[in-house]
Amino acid sequence: MNVLLLACVLLPLLGFVLILCSPDNEHRIAAISLWITRLKGVAVLGLLAGWAIGGFANYEYQWLMLYQHDNYQFPLLFFLDKVGAAYLFVVWAIFSAIVKYCRVYLHREPGYKRFFKTIFGFVFGLNLIVLAGSIDMLFAGWEIVGISSFLLIAFYRQRPQPIRNALRAYTIYRFCDVGLLIGTWMSHMLFHESQHFSELLTLFDHHNLPPAGYAALAIMSWLIILAASGKSAQFPFCFWLPRAMEGPTPSSAIFYGALSIHLGVFLLLRTLPIWSYHYLPRLIVLSIGALTVLIASLSEKTQSNIKGQVAYASITQVGLMFIELALGLESLVLLHFMGNAFLRCYQLLVSPSIVAHLLRVEGNVDGDFYINSEDKLSFLPVSIRQSVPEVLQNTLYVFALQEGHLELLVRTLLWNPLKTLGKQFNALSLWIKWLAALALLTIIAIAASDVSGMAKIYLSMPVSLAMAVVSLSAFSNKHSPYQVWHSVTLSSLLAGVAVWMMAPDASFDVLLFFSGILPSWALGVVAMAVLLRNDNFAASPFVFRAFAQTRPGWSLALLLSFLGLIGFPITPAFLGEDLLLSHASSQHPWFALSITISFVINGIAAARMYLRLCMGQPVELRSSGD
Amino acid sequence: MSVNSQHSPPHSAFDLNQTIDHIAHWLPSQGPLKDFIHHNTLHAVQDRPFHDGVAMAAQVYGANSYLPLSDYQQRFREGRITQQALDWAITQTHCDAATEQALRAELFELDYHSHYPPQSLAHHGLRSAWLNRLAIDLNALVHPVMFRLLSNFLDQGISRWALPKLGESFWDCVLRLVHNSLLPLYPFHRRRVRELLSAGPEHVIVQCLDAIVGDEGLYGQYLLELLLAHPGWSGMVRVIETQPQTLLAPRDITLKQLLAVELACELAFIDKLRGTRFIKIAQLPDLASIALLEGDAVKPRVPLKMRVWHEAMEWSLYCELLVGLRSQPKPSSQTTASPTTPSPTVQALFCIDDRECSVRRYLEELDSQIETFGTPGFFGIDFLYQGLEDAYPVAQCPAVVKPKHLILESTTQPRPDKKIGGETLSTLHFSSHSMFRGWLYTQTLGLAYALRLGWSVLRPGGQLPGIQSLSEIEAHGHLHLLRENDEPNEDGYLLGFSLPEMADRVEGVLRNIGLIEQFAPLIMVVAHGSSSVNNPHFAAYDCGACAGKPGAPNARAFAWMANHPPVREILRERGIVIPDGSRFVPALHNTSRDDIRYFDLNDLDKSSRSALHAFQHTMHHALQLNARERCRWFELGPKSPDNQDAHNHVIARASSIFEPRPELNHSNNLYCVVGRRSLTRHLFMDRRTFLQSYDPQGDNDGSILLKVLSAVIPVCGGINLEYLFSRIDNSVYGAGTKLPHNVIGLLGVANGVEGDLRTGLPAQMIEVHEPARLLMVVEQTTAIVDRAIAQLGSLREWLDNEWIRFVVCDPMTRALFLYGRDKWQSVEAVSVNPPQAKRSETILVGQSRTIAVHAVERR
Repeated sequence: MNVLLLACVLLPLLGFVLILCSPDNEHRIAAISLWITRLKGVAVLGLLAGWAIGGFANYEYQWLMLYQHDNYQFPLLFFLDKVGAAYLFVVWAIFSAIVKYCRVYLHREPGYKRFFKTIFGFVFGLNLIVLAGSIDMLFAGWEIVGISSFLLIAFYRQRPQPIRNALRAYTIYRFCDVGLLIGTWMSHMLFHESQHFSELLTLFDHHNLPPAGYAALAIMSWLIILAASGKSAQFPFCFWLPRAMEGPTPSSAIFYGALSIHLGVFLLLRTLPIWSYHYLPRLIVLSIGALTVLIASLSEKTQSNIKGQVAYASITQVGLMFIELALGLESLVLLHFMGNAFLRCYQLLVSPSIVAHLLRVEGNVDGDFYINSEDKLSFLPVSIRQSVPEVLQNTLYVFALQEGHLELLVRTLLWNPLKTLGKQFNALSLWIKWLAALALLTIIAIAASDVSGMAKIYLSMPVSLAMAVVSLSAFSNKHSPYQVWHSVTLSSLLAGVAVWMMAPDASFDVLLFFSGILPSWALGVVAMAVLLRNDNFAASPFVFRAFAQTRPGWSLALLLSFLGLIGFPITPAFLGEDLLLSHASSQHPWFALSITISFVINGIAAARMYLRLCMGQPVELRSSGD
Repeated sequence: MSVNSQHSPPHSAFDLNQTIDHIAHWLPSQGPLKDFIHHNTLHAVQDRPFHDGVAMAAQVYGANSYLPLSDYQQRFREGRITQQALDWAITQTHCDAATEQALRAELFELDYHSHYPPQSLAHHGLRSAWLNRLAIDLNALVHPVMFRLLSNFLDQGISRWALPKLGESFWDCVLRLVHNSLLPLYPFHRRRVRELLSAGPEHVIVQCLDAIVGDEGLYGQYLLELLLAHPGWSGMVRVIETQPQTLLAPRDITLKQLLAVELACELAFIDKLRGTRFIKIAQLPDLASIALLEGDAVKPRVPLKMRVWHEAMEWSLYCELLVGLRSQPKPSSQTTASPTTPSPTVQALFCIDDRECSVRRYLEELDSQIETFGTPGFFGIDFLYQGLEDAYPVAQCPAVVKPKHLILESTTQPRPDKKIGGETLSTLHFSSHSMFRGWLYTQTLGLAYALRLGWSVLRPGGQLPGIQSLSEIEAHGHLHLLRENDEPNEDGYLLGFSLPEMADRVEGVLRNIGLIEQFAPLIMVVAHGSSSVNNPHFAAYDCGACAGKPGAPNARAFAWMANHPPVREILRERGIVIPDGSRFVPALHNTSRDDIRYFDLNDLDKSSRSALHAFQHTMHHALQLNARERCRWFELGPKSPDNQDAHNHVIARASSIFEPRPELNHSNNLYCVVGRRSLTRHLFMDRRTFLQSYDPQGDNDGSILLKVLSAVIPVCGGINLEYLFSRIDNSVYGAGTKLPHNVIGLLGVANGVEGDLRTGLPAQMIEVHEPARLLMVVEQTTAIVDRAIAQLGSLREWLDNEWIRFVVCDPMTRALFLYGRDKWQSVEAVSVNPPQAKRSETILVGQSRTIAVHAVERR
């Protein structure tokens, strides 16, 4: 059973590694993928059978302890229950079908290898989430899914529009990661050793006092709900999903039609005990669901393209799932999830046939095609069309056309203030910046020279403020890739220093964090120096440089550097990020918020610069004499 | 030119309508998805010599003009470009000795930059310089807003709520939403723009241009660059403006309205981000360094090296056919032999389509008493057709012909009532979008789609349920061909043809192909179509001569007319005697599945029935061999030599939802031979040839040739040029890869949800195409051809400017002459004979690229 469980998680990783190592040969890649899905099928069905024989009991397995320091533990922990089982099965079934489908569909496509690599990475992340035993493990999977989504949306990297939309989806993902990051930390704080999902289930069984205060639980619930609604494109984040349909149709089908979009629902199912404890979070989930259903079903009516229509139909159903969750109908949610996943996946896969369908089937004389009936030209029922003023009809149409104005709302509330702030910092004159740097150094020096612990904590406040400022400056800087990279690194370093000032015994963990950040930074700067040797970036900051096509080696280095900087689970920085959070915030909760926001903003800033440099279409340089 | 006009008063020199007409010809002219008409992608520059035109287009659109240099060099190493052809191509440049020396040295150098497109108006013009200066990604802001408005306005049936009211124009529609809605329509809600909009489109355009450009001399270029930022939508709007009947649900939109709305949208965003004080284009400091439309931006810069390589490749390919044609025995020896050859038992009329080239070869190889003819697949019958199942009539003729007749199909059988049961279960997934219905369906039936998905993926072969393609519709009805009265219907169409009109059409085709005597007892009229699933470009797979429709109605109409005794009576008076024993039988060849369907067999007598059985048997065998031949292109196809395997494979291919290449269509089309079948009957031409039958002997004044060429040049040339340019730069001239395509409003496809419409052909259709211009060979003397060409009119442009290459093959001597604008150039092609083969199957073994023309042994 343990072996099967491990196999379920690790087989996609094995597939990823094999494809990574194999030459760019379509037949070999196809053979590898096919065999991995088959083996995975054996593992999944075996596991589920074993679990069924065991009476459908919740099952937990700790593989090994990845990291242990003082009272902090990071075990590789897996957990299987009926929610996990349902998701595990659906993930495997859809993944297998998609692999079979893509074998032929992507035939001769440049990027065949890249596609399969990314999709295996995605499924690995997905399995990690589904079988995660603790919220830390879940977060690792969450990040992998986020990055592979980002890479697949930008699969056609020559065109600016997929790149823009990849960034759009990524920023939403990243923002909602705030919820999960802080949620992770709070789970450390609230439940101490008992952050295992298995124990979480029983934690609230005793109807005496909850393990933590209502307030803390409420905050944690909100954070989880935020994370869930971002991933599932619920209110107010509905707008990114249709725009993410930029990759090959099957990847859109598996990500946004079938699997990725239901991860928010999964997160809510997993953490049900936490947020369902109180009626307020339930009410929030209910209203998010209801608002989403309202907006998405209206937006769906005015989608004149087929994929957008399926996307909004899917969002509507997930909104209904949120409502069902809030009402406590978990089993119904599982059924609903499975039905929706398969249906939307199929709908997206056959979406190109809509033309033939509408023109040839519904186009029949007595069909349902609207060009035959003038009634459908106007969307209101005939009976009330006369009585509703035209202004209301127009208003409704504008509301649906602009998809509830959600994008605008999010942009105005979230990104614009950050951008403005960052811009103001960037506009400060140089000597103020130097002065601030000097002051910071002094503060750090004072702190290093062994003053009292209390003083250090107060001294750490300006340091963390500086961290946030540097992040913002990176966020609104579009003119120098070097500055962005430096700022992101500096902000991470400052975070580490601040933590060290607050908790001197964490110095080892801080170093661990740095050991991931610094090499990534160095790699990135070297790569940029090579790539931009003959290029004046600031002269045309909005041109996509297309280095992934012209200089694939160095642009891969830049990708690795980017992943390292944002704490992707390939360097110690991922673990370090988690550790820093747990250290610092165990005493000073206020710090958790600023450090998380910094991390998130850093990620977006670095991603944007990476896209500018590596994506796009190369152009012939006109020689001057011509 | 620009600096002076800055001081001129507004509204004087600038003529908006004239400017729009002037720049609109740069826009692509592809219509909505339901029809597909192959045309020259670069029609804007076809009044120039080919290489100049292509270079100009590259500098406007930012596209490649040729294949990457390394491809040509590779072909040279493989022997597909010969040294003789290279020499020939160099002499065609007429350069001096020094240049030639340098050129020869340069040809084989590696050059990694020649496969990037040049700097262009679309990407490096005034507008991009200005936006870079403003530091606003205006396209990213404006395009999503514009595309949403346009696609919802023009939508033909995807969205549940239609945007326009009946008869409302785009401008009025936008105005209604801006001025009469409680919620603001972003970004038009800004006060400056709202007030501006009331003034009407022309005023808005001039005002916005004044604010943005500030120099009337540059207005035209700015508008062009604006439109070229989204060529797909601009082109679609222009097509709908000029040909409103291309839409089923008519829409009132003009390029002017589009420009007005878009400029207002731009101004709104700039107003929001930069206020009212921003730098105008006329004030740009580096204005002098930007190429101008009226200046040298479109002065063609032809890379000599690439031109030579491309012409060398084409000439190598041309020589393969020309050598084959020259090696054919001269007709003088043939006429003496003809009495010994028995008269044919079956004659079969096929479309000129290059996909029928191999089927015809196999038919004749299998049974030497079958004689085939080629003619454009609408069989000379131009009409609008509305079948039993169709909601609207479709034109069944080439795009250049404007049909005046409407043909309806009727049935005697009672029709099953479709309304019963409402939606059928199998098409449920098309409608389960709405909230409550969707909730119900996902809860109850969603899981069934797991099985459906599994079945579709694991066992392709069945049809995607519920989607009938036209070519497979049961032929249960009768065509109302004979007109009962001369009253046109409300749309101005005549219902059916009169007897003389029918005779005209039948006679026209028979005379064109030279079939006016020696009629066989059975004459097949084989149209073609193609079935595919999950394919928005399905119309591009059907018959090009029927404007992207299956040709079955035309074949049925032709056969009916030719069988109708009163029509035969008229034909007899005109000198074409069709014996009573000869019957015409219509059929439809499905080119993707390689199967055939026969129509209207009820009124066959016994003898023709048995002849038909024999033909069916041969045809079945020929189709299997044809499937085998097609499979050599499919990397994932069966490797066994079994014909049945190959046939099963092509059927599965045509009906699996994950197959982006149901067939490879016209890929590798290259030649067009207009002449007697005897000229090509014993040549293996690798499915690369459009074959038009034409008898040079019955045409002394070139009048028949003129008719033939008037249909063949636009159809074949259009197909060839569209494939050529889609292959040369698939991202600009083509539609890119099919995989991320999203169907927009039944009008076209786009990448993702908010992308521009993609024009041209998708990568999966053209990836194996060898991009060479069409070589048209006419079997006739130059004197008669000259007379025909003189009357060709505008079609002559393609010949004069070498957009297609034209060779005449003398019917008596087999001497070859290449057409030039001024004179005929005698082709002293290489003297070697073409490779020989016993049967065509033996040529194919182990070949996965294009094959040179072979001579096949006579039997």
